[in-house]
Parts: sequence; structure tokens; C-alpha cells
Amino acid sequence: MAKSGGTELRFEGVAKHYGPIAALQPTTLLICPGEFFALLGPSGSGKTTLLGIAAGFIQPSEGRIFVNGHDITGEPPERRNIGMVFQNYSLFPFLTVFKNVAFPLEMRKRPKPEIAERVRRMLEMVRLAHLADRLPSELSGGQQQRVALARAAVYDPAVLLMDEPLGALDKALREEMQDEIKQFHAKIRATVIYVTHDQQEAAFMADRTAILNHGLVEQHGPQNELYESPRNAFVAGFLGEANLLTVVGITPLPNGRYRALTTEGLPLTTAKAPPGIGELVACIRPANVAILRESHSRTDRFAGMIAEAVHAAESIRYRVQINERCSIVVRALSTRGADRYRPGEQVTVGWDPEDVMIMPK
Amino acid sequence: MRRPVRAAPSAAAARVTLWIYVALVLAFLLVPIAIIMPMSFSDQPYLTFPPPGWTLHWYAVVQDQPRWLAAALNSFRIGVPSALLAVLFGTFAALAIVRSGSRWAKPMTLLVLAPMMLPHVIIAIGLFPTLVDLRLINTYAAVVVGHTVIGISLVFLTVSAALRGYPASLDLVARTLGANAWRTFVRVTMPMTWTGIASGGLLAFAASFDELMLALFLTSAKTETLPRLIWDQLSFALTPALAAVATLMLALSMFLLSAVAVIGSVRSPPPKRIFP
Repeated sequence: MAKSGGTELRFEGVAKHYGPIAALQPTTLLICPGEFFALLGPSGSGKTTLLGIAAGFIQPSEGRIFVNGHDITGEPPERRNIGMVFQNYSLFPFLTVFKNVAFPLEMRKRPKPEIAERVRRMLEMVRLAHLADRLPSELSGGQQQRVALARAAVYDPAVLLMDEPLGALDKALREEMQDEIKQFHAKIRATVIYVTHDQQEAAFMADRTAILNHGLVEQHGPQNELYESPRNAFVAGFLGEANLLTVVGITPLPNGRYRALTTEGLPLTTAKAPPGIGELVACIRPANVAILRESHSRTDRFAGMIAEAVHAAESIRYRVQINERCSIVVRALSTRGADRYRPGEQVTVGWDPEDVMIMPK
Repeated sequence: MRRPVRAAPSAAAARVTLWIYVALVLAFLLVPIAIIMPMSFSDQPYLTFPPPGWTLHWYAVVQDQPRWLAAALNSFRIGVPSALLAVLFGTFAALAIVRSGSRWAKPMTLLVLAPMMLPHVIIAIGLFPTLVDLRLINTYAAVVVGHTVIGISLVFLTVSAALRGYPASLDLVARTLGANAWRTFVRVTMPMTWTGIASGGLLAFAASFDELMLALFLTSAKTETLPRLIWDQLSFALTPALAAVATLMLALSMFLLSAVAVIGSVRSPPPKRIFP
């Protein structure tokens, strides 16, 4: 995960309050040198506040921030040696592409020939050398964001902060730019903190992801870990699809497994020992639910009726009504030869006890 | 975006009514100004409209009286420093209030704009004893202080509008790129807002140049401005010379207004998207 070069960034108990409102609850995170770290969460979850604290725009109410072990909490933004890329690009509209990228080097009083050389090299890296004399308003959105990237990286900042940098682009361009930023990161090897509300973007780009909600880091780790063992219902629901059922009681079974009763009326079997406290939910990923034939065996199986069938590019999403309180979402691959079901058909759905995760609400 | 070729009769009637209304408003605004100009060329020794004959005599009269020239120079001596001070304070006030995001921003805005709403006579009554205490009364400084108060509101308005016209992230990004607060102001904020700063300064100068009430309280015979001298002359000699001075002032005001309009139309290309 950690690459050579880059800088370690550490948040220690960092929090921000606005009067009685906590924009960010005490947060401790260690971001490794060269790591691509995503902050993922709905709007208002505190991810931009955390980024603003890292940049020095926002002074934390509590806690400290360290770069390579050096405390930078009180340092103004211009002395932190960070690079920042905003969603709206924030290029200086009165300066040419070249002058925009040269700006941070001029602020550092580098000699003119050095500036020219480094700007040229950086513009080549983002494939915009031929547009050096244009004004930002003469570029497309993707080109402007590449200039912003070049400008934020030309002075080898310790950390590169990106605030939803692709949020203003359309889907096709966004995917292209995701590739571009990833390759760019591989070349410059800076530590990157990347704010996004798009979990697929985080999954594609980041080494590790922190999930934020209501100013709190709910969980952080590699995306597959977050997906496979979410710590609570919010993380489970935010990363990918989830069937969530409310658990009302748990009893151990003689075979070492557990039986969970749900308000939806479905008794579930789970293989893992459930957490002992608080309100619990059971989570079953739609991809782990199968529509069964008679010959198939599953521990938990329930009869129901196809209520809805949505055909997407690579999969079909069925909603199977089990009873009036509960429907289960099934994600089936739409490979050639796979069975197709129509709304109204009677089917049986089932899953393995290993795929039933019990977690706090 | 073409209009329909034939409007319904009621719509046509509404259109005619609107035109008449607009014409009346414009007449109401412009006729007093239009009347003063021909009166200044009158060959009679008193103000008449329309003048029976034409002459440039009254412009010569104005030119021959050193008091008019002295008052004109005073108006510049007071207007230029007032405008510069107003630009200084008004720009920084706008920067602080627009970019603060504080809940005090709204009340502070009202406070800065208060001199525009308050009758000038009240500002004058407030300033007079203070400036007497400071032993500044009857000096240029006295009236410069008064006119700066008025000018700050105008600069504040134009500069706030310019600041709201571009995303604050432009200033923030300059900070991350290594510019401290002052260099960010010089290298980013100023280029983005110079049209607002310049037109605010011109408006502040024009406001000082036209101002009578504070000038009545705060100037002496030595520091009297053109509006004050016109006022003094009105009480005993209602000659076309006054109309001649008024016409000259009108010409300067029109020039300043055109300058503001030209500056307003020269805009650096705006950023494509606004920071949410």
C-alpha cells in the first residue's frame, strides 16, 4: 500500500464544532506516504470539513495534524506545501495555462528558466503542452481540470488534496479522468486525499477509503474489506446494495450457528457470532441471493413472487416479494443462458448462512 | 426569441400604455437637467426658459471670477482624496464581510451602507461637534472625512458585487499554492475585482463632487466646494452664470458616469462554473 516518496499525514483527535453543531467528530486517521486515500460520504457528512482542516482553511476546534510527524495545526495554508484541486477547477481566468501552472513556482521565487522547464514538463505529463498559451475559458472542462492538476502538483507538494475534482464532468469524461488521475498519481507518487460521494469512484481509485456520516468516520480500510465486513448498517447500505432486515431476537443453534428473528417475519440462519449489544440488523447482499430451482439446496429459502425485474447492462435486478412486509432484492448475472423471470412469477430465493451478516443498526 | 407578429388588441394597448409610462418617467428624470443647459446660454441677466436670445457671455463671467475657479479646485482637492480613502476602506470592508461567512455579515453590511440611507444632514450634525473637538473644522480634512463616509458605501457596493461574481475557491487555491494573504489579494483578488474598485472610486468621487449638505457644515470660505458656492450665490444673484456652472458640472458628471459604464463592460472572462 505504501509507496516510496510522498508524505505521511496524521489526524489526531481532530474535530470541528460550529456552536452546538459538530461538523466533524473527533477523528484519528493515519494516511501513509504515497497512499491514495478516499473520503466517501453523503453531502454534509464532514468530508469537506476534514479536507479543509488538512488544507488549513478551517482551524480544528480540537486535535492536531501532523505531516511526517511535524505538527502543522497552526500553519497557514501557504506554508503547508499542499496542493489542492477543487471541483470548479479554480483556474485564474486572467492568466494563461502556462501562467496558471507557473503561479506556485513564482510564489516560491524559483528562477525563471527553472519555472519554464518545470511547467513545460508538467504540461507534457497532462498532455496539454500545445495549449500553454490559451486562457482557461478557451478549454474544455476536462482540460481545465488537467491544468488544475498540473498546477497543484508542479511544486511537488507533500500532500495532494482533491475536493470532488470530477463532480462537474459528465459520466464518460469522468471515467476517462479517473484513469488519468490514477496514472498521474502513479507517476508523481504524492500522498492523495480524495473527497467524493461516488463509491464506485472511490473503489476504482483509492487504496483505502474512509466512510463518513454525520461528521463521524464510520469505518475505514480497503474497499473490499468495507464491502465484505461492514461495521454497521450505514456502511453496508452506502457501499453497494444491501437487503437490511431488523433483528428482534437471536438464539444459538446446536450446530454452532445462530437463528435470528426479524420484524419482517423471516427467520435467518447466520454462521458468524453476532455482536452482543444494541439494535441489530441483518444484511444480505443482493449478489449473494439466488433464485432457486427445486434441485438447489440452501439453508434459508423463502417462496415469493417476482415484483419487479430491471435489466441493466451486465446484471438483472429482481425484487422478490416474500410477504407484505418484506421484499428481497436479487442481483443476477445476465449471462447468456441464464434463467430469466417475469414479474408475477412464483419463485424461491435462498442464501448461505455465511452471507448473512448481523451488525449494529 | 421573436415576438409574435401580431399582438392581441389588449396586448397592444398594454404596450402603448407601457411606452407612455416609460416616456413620462424619463421626462421627469431628464427635463430639469435639459432645461438648465439652454438657460446657461441666455442673453438675459436672469434665469429664463426658453431664453429669448443666445450668448456665451455667462461662461466668460464664470471664467473671470477667481472664486469659481478656487471652488472647482477645492472640489477636486476634496473629491480625489475622499475617493481614494473610500476605495481603501470600502474594498477591505467588502472583502472582510463578503468572504467571512459569519452570521454578523448581514448586520455589518447594513452598518456599512447606513450612510447611504441616513439623511446627510444627520451625518453632518454628528460630524460637526466631533471635528470641532478635533480642531479639524474648516480644514480640508474635515470635509474629506465626511465625504469618505459617504464614499465607503458606494465602493463597498461595487466591490461586493465584484467579489460575489467569482468563486471564493479562487482565493483559497492561491493560498494553497503558496501565496500569503496579501499576495493573494494583489495577484488574484485585485485582478478579479478591479472593475468594481475603479467604478466604486469614480462613484465616490462623483458623490463628493455633487455633495452639498456636508459641505455646508464642514467647509469654510477657504475650502468651499462648487455645490456650496452655487448655494451661496443662489441666495442673492440668480444669474445664468449659475446655469453655466451647473452645465459644466453636468458635463463632468456625465463623463464620470460614462467611464463607470465603460469599465463595467470591460470584464475579464468569468470562470465557467460557480463554486457550489
